[in-house]
Amino acid sequence: MNGFELIRGQTNNLLIEINGYINCLHLTPCPYTRNMLLTLLRQKISFLSFLNNLQYSLGVRQPDILPQQTFTVEQLSKYDGKNGQPAYIAVNGLVYDVTNSAAWAAATHFGLSAGRDLTREFLNCHQEQQQILNSLPVIGRLVQ
Amino acid sequence: MKISECPVNKLGVSAAQKLIDRVVAEARKGRLKKRNLVWLEATGCSGNIISLLNGSNPDFRYFIRDMVNLVYNNSLMASEGEAAFEHLVRVSTADFILAVEGAVATKDKGLYNVIGNWKGKPVTAIDAVRWLGERAAHVIAVGACATHGGPSAAKPNPSQSVSVQSVLKRKVIKLPGCPCHPDWFLGTLAHLLLYGQPLLDEFDRPLMFYGTLIHDLCPRRSFFEKGIFAEKLGEKTCMFKLGCRGPVTRVDCPVRQWNDYVNWPIGDDTPCIGCAQFGFPDAMEPFISYDIT
Ligand code: SF4
Repeated sequence: MNGFELIRGQTNNLLIEINGYINCLHLTPCPYTRNMLLTLLRQKISFLSFLNNLQYSLGVRQPDILPQQTFTVEQLSKYDGKNGQPAYIAVNGLVYDVTNSAAWAAATHFGLSAGRDLTREFLNCHQEQQQILNSLPVIGRLVQ
Repeated sequence: MKISECPVNKLGVSAAQKLIDRVVAEARKGRLKKRNLVWLEATGCSGNIISLLNGSNPDFRYFIRDMVNLVYNNSLMASEGEAAFEHLVRVSTADFILAVEGAVATKDKGLYNVIGNWKGKPVTAIDAVRWLGERAAHVIAVGACATHGGPSAAKPNPSQSVSVQSVLKRKVIKLPGCPCHPDWFLGTLAHLLLYGQPLLDEFDRPLMFYGTLIHDLCPRRSFFEKGIFAEKLGEKTCMFKLGCRGPVTRVDCPVRQWNDYVNWPIGDDTPCIGCAQFGFPDAMEPFISYDIT
């Protein structure tokens, strides 16, 4: 794994966590929990700025807009998260890596398994929640 | 610091007790009238009433002596048959709070679940839930089956069971969990008695109990962040790769714990199976996986 990928992975994780904490902040009525969440958020933000500076000092450039790798539905089905394979899913033509996404324990999510085009399912449950996808690493594109 | 020493945790664990103490104090001062409670058992395993009997903060005796008049519960009441049902008929015109555990069987007009007889005719769960649900001051769906169908509605769902909300056109407070923790129910009930409906999330779950993800407060979270995952049951690290549903389950098990607050599944090295998440059990399967990357 090169420096850039490492930083991207860490940044993605941080963004997921920050999103999670903000959701919790909206939900919790307890002032102690809110204080704890705010402290955690501050920590995460300072880590983000550290990563940001690191990226510049390493001189790593942003990747080209999208990875060039392409997958057919059949190729995608191999990446089901089992027996050493990573877990990939496709939504709206892009292939995402959910291997280490918390909501995808054991490469399954609310009865869905990885290795499939889940555009319809995503729209059913998470319409207008593009930020969920933004927090996942993009691996490639789905082709016919 | 041990998790039990954390002030946030202490506050969470004692929240139900504090509310209930307040109910009793107010009732003793004559400022709060004891209200009637009807607990209907519909299509399920009666596990929620059993769980409630195991409550410790407060215990069950305290609950029926000091908090409410428990008018009807078919597992616990002394009367039986039509005599028991008469209590229901009488309370239906008075002020009462309705708790329902179990889903509502709808196949063949609900005949898969007959909960009693009245005037020689069988009364189905669906009839009883509709009849009482429309008249109650508040309706609380207790446990997985009542809140969203749960195990009773799991595939292939031969009785065509549905949630309580699906047969009622009114607000139903939902306390998912298989079973529901005694504190979740008693705390919600105490809040209803004192201040009315508690703050609910968009799925009508009380925020005071269902506000955070298990994953957010899990003592094994640091293992998750470092990518240290258990490969088999019994290991003390994060069980994400075994299929832990903590990251999608919103409830306070990590701080509240079970059976007099002694332990909980993750504390005993088994993954969370998401029993308090909508869609359980079908949507939370597989409960355990071994060949995961
Ligand atoms: S054991 Fe489950 S809830 Fe705890 S950190 Fe791991 S995935 Fe999250």
